[in-house]
Amino acid sequence: MDAYFYIILVVGLVSTVICLGAGILKKAPNDTTILSVAAVELSLLVYLVGSIVRVAGGEQMAGEPWEFWGYLLTALLLPVGAVYWAILERTRWSNFVLAAVGVTALVMAARMNQIWY
Amino acid sequence: MEEAENVTAKPSHQDIATTPAPAKDTRNTGPGRLLIAVYAVFAISATARAGFQILTKFSEAPLAYLLSAFAAVVYLVATVSLAKSGRTWFKVSVAAVLVELVGVLVVGALSLFDSVNFPHETVWSLFGRGYAFIPLLLPILGLIWLYRRRPAPKQA
Repeated sequence: MDAYFYIILVVGLVSTVICLGAGILKKAPNDTTILSVAAVELSLLVYLVGSIVRVAGGEQMAGEPWEFWGYLLTALLLPVGAVYWAILERTRWSNFVLAAVGVTALVMAARMNQIWY
Repeated sequence: MEEAENVTAKPSHQDIATTPAPAKDTRNTGPGRLLIAVYAVFAISATARAGFQILTKFSEAPLAYLLSAFAAVVYLVATVSLAKSGRTWFKVSVAAVLVELVGVLVVGALSLFDSVNFPHETVWSLFGRGYAFIPLLLPILGLIWLYRRRPAPKQA
């Protein structure tokens, strides 16, 4: 597990807790919950840029490269889709959808780490 | 996710704290959205995983990987049908969720008792243990949700 994973682990967990809390408090998606999901997207983008730099620098990953990139690109789409959906229906339930992003992202980041090493 | 657009056409409920009354025959609002989102994640991951298994190592365990592909199709059908409104899509949802429930129970039991023939991982192996047992929980929650939002009986 490298620093990229731990960044996503922390950001993802914080985002999930914030969104779950807002959902339990019966709040509609607001700036706080949407920005926390945006932070997950940002940390995934950091992982993307870092990985491109590492591959460009000649580093080899242990697993299948296309599997790694598939995971990363799918993970990058999740926050965007969830926020889009949260804007379409502004109810407390959309916060639970947003909460799912952080957990999913960290599970996928763990898998990406496994593929890389 | 285009299906969700018809939600905006409905009169908006200012009091978001209360669950809106099921005015229309839809299941893609409120808790249903969370359900659809989780189904969508499983549809994507199961499709990707089955595709990967079949393309790279199909001959190792054809039965397990065909089961993976079947599970992926079930999740796709469940996701789409839950997002659609109307009586027909309701029936499709019920069928898909029931197949999913039977699948996770049968495959889970088989992988437990007949580990020789089911040594390879699928989404449903060991009742979905590799996925935090969400595959076992999902059809149960799905059936509850479908029952709560079942279409009104036809007027005679």
